[in-house]
Amino acid sequence: MAGIGRRGFVKGATVGATIGALAFAVGGVEIIMTAQEARARGVPFRLLDGHQGEALEALGETLVPSAREAGIAHFIDQQLSVPPTESLLQARIFNFRPPFADFYRSAIVAVDAGSNKMFGRDFVLLSTADQRAFVDLMRQNKVEGWTGRPGALVYAVLRADAVDVVYGTMEGYEALGIPYMPHIPPEKRW
Amino acid sequence: MSNEKVDVVIVGAGASGSVYASVLAKAGKKVVLLESGPDWELSDLISSEIWGRRIKPAGAPILLEGKNPMTYAAQGGWGVGGAALHYFANFPRLLPTDFRIKSEHSRAHDWPIAYEDVAPFYDKVARDTGVSGDAKAEEKWRPAGEAYPMPPMKTFRNGDIWLKGFDAAGIRMVPAPVGMNSVEYHGRPACLYDGWCHVGCPIGALANPQITYLGNARKAGAEVRALSTVTRILTNQAGTRVTGVEYYDDKHGKQIQEANVVVLAAWSAQNPRLLLNSATDKHAKGLSNSSGLVGKFMMSHHVASTWGMFDEDTQNHMGTIAVQYMSYEHYPKTSHPGAFGSSFITAGFALKTTDLAVSRADLFGPELADYMKQAARHLAGIKTFGEEQPRMENRVELTGEKDEFGMPLGKLFHSYDEDAVALWNANLEEGLKVARAAGAREAWSARGAMPTSHLMGGTIMGTGADNSVVNSFGQSHEIPNLWIAGPSIFPTAGASNPTFTIFALSQRGAERMASQWSTLTN
Repeated sequence: MAGIGRRGFVKGATVGATIGALAFAVGGVEIIMTAQEARARGVPFRLLDGHQGEALEALGETLVPSAREAGIAHFIDQQLSVPPTESLLQARIFNFRPPFADFYRSAIVAVDAGSNKMFGRDFVLLSTADQRAFVDLMRQNKVEGWTGRPGALVYAVLRADAVDVVYGTMEGYEALGIPYMPHIPPEKRW
Repeated sequence: MSNEKVDVVIVGAGASGSVYASVLAKAGKKVVLLESGPDWELSDLISSEIWGRRIKPAGAPILLEGKNPMTYAAQGGWGVGGAALHYFANFPRLLPTDFRIKSEHSRAHDWPIAYEDVAPFYDKVARDTGVSGDAKAEEKWRPAGEAYPMPPMKTFRNGDIWLKGFDAAGIRMVPAPVGMNSVEYHGRPACLYDGWCHVGCPIGALANPQITYLGNARKAGAEVRALSTVTRILTNQAGTRVTGVEYYDDKHGKQIQEANVVVLAAWSAQNPRLLLNSATDKHAKGLSNSSGLVGKFMMSHHVASTWGMFDEDTQNHMGTIAVQYMSYEHYPKTSHPGAFGSSFITAGFALKTTDLAVSRADLFGPELADYMKQAARHLAGIKTFGEEQPRMENRVELTGEKDEFGMPLGKLFHSYDEDAVALWNANLEEGLKVARAAGAREAWSARGAMPTSHLMGGTIMGTGADNSVVNSFGQSHEIPNLWIAGPSIFPTAGASNPTFTIFALSQRGAERMASQWSTLTN
């Protein structure tokens, strides 16, 4: 290892970082692309249904601006489809028991139930202001009649996912003006 | 399927198991390490917080209960190297008072050894793995020892900016000792201060076991079997000796590995789980558990985090995840009136975008976006680790639920007592005073759920089977060829980050095992 500087190491090691990309299925063929690209190309979800995808996008966007465009729903959907031991989701850090899809599905059910009780509509149909008001109550475990995992936990996990797709990428660092300075950069700059 | 009998089988290839493997393989023993997670190459350690989650815990979870559940997943490890593959490598040592807390304060337990018994092994680990720091500066608070082999790490504004505040509070800060290279050491390069240590350091500047003890162990002939999950420790018919372990290999095939000695080094929550699951008619409560103390006295450190937003650029993208400055000033157990326990004060560390977002977990939407822009250049933090006293009710038990191999899941109960809560609050209040005196334009405490860090205990050391599970070397009081290693053998927690002590105690235990080998195999 002696004498290996960062530049030299990165040059050699990037070649070995072959698992740095996400695989999305397009027309039966797996293509490596970013979650943002997958959303832009309308790649079908693997596990989520259309409403669940929309709900995750609406929640993500409320929590972290630009999360929708960054592909939060595609990111979560793709990660739910890989074995839990390979998952990059924050659910792993929150010590959830696989399958992680159970958490997301039940969270969306709880959000919609609370939203319908408060506003008479699913969360995705609320105005931006009402979505914000609802999330603020959810964050504080103050949504009346809430069922399932605590609202504050749902807030924390989805916020962390949204932070990942918006700020955890090399583009996210660039947008904040933070030098990324990788030893081994992710192969795909998502 | 049975494998050729070996001298030593080690369960877990993390910090403690790797030291045992190195010492024993170099002593000529045939060593096999069984690790439940995958094997990693340095080239797997991608500089990304998202990709870095691949080396965080997976597999069967430990179920969490209690008022303050032990949130271990961010710190834990998955695979060869364990948590030390991506640890922060803060290397403070325990102090003499930690070893005699009962004698001095009528609280908790005395260790069966003194600081002086461990000190030579701290020095040896520092030489072997490389530690950067200023030992002389620390010796204000501890007995003198050897100088660290490398000078202190570089500091940055995110650390230096706090010194004025600490000075105003009468707290002397000194360079923190870390298991990182400030200069080239043992053929490994110096740190580049890019702040990606917590997802693994691929250049080898961070002393992770893959490039230190495990590297040496492999060179000396030790075999590492990854994706090998141990489910039981096996004993002879009389129950007087362990004979090996049962495990499931990477293809989920059941295997038996016989050995003269078993070293259990699977982490504080898994060690008790394995001992309890290895019950026989001769050991009805689990191995080494006639006292009923296996799984008891689980401990954590609480962490008081204070954030400051400064007008100047704090360079918070620069540095390491380890801290730049530390102080034992409030380490004496009664430093904070009405809040018993040691505090270990630290300052200055690199931040990534996840850290920025977590520092104001209440913000979302446009307010979060605005905050992230400010924090990217102007945020800095300090952290004070606090001691929790050992209590029986903080424990690991087996549950009725089973993992994919049919092994009962462990459940970890953890709640802080009044002393811990009071100490955490005192440290948070002090942090705010320091931040204001340092000139922060805004300062706030990370309140909310009381943090847990560094799981310890569960198979504690002591003077006999009536008060503990193992002796000071990690040898079971009841089964002489069963040894236990890692933070699970700590009888008290202190407030210092534990890994330096884990390495030192493992070195001490492994050398003892090698020197007493003939008594273990007869």
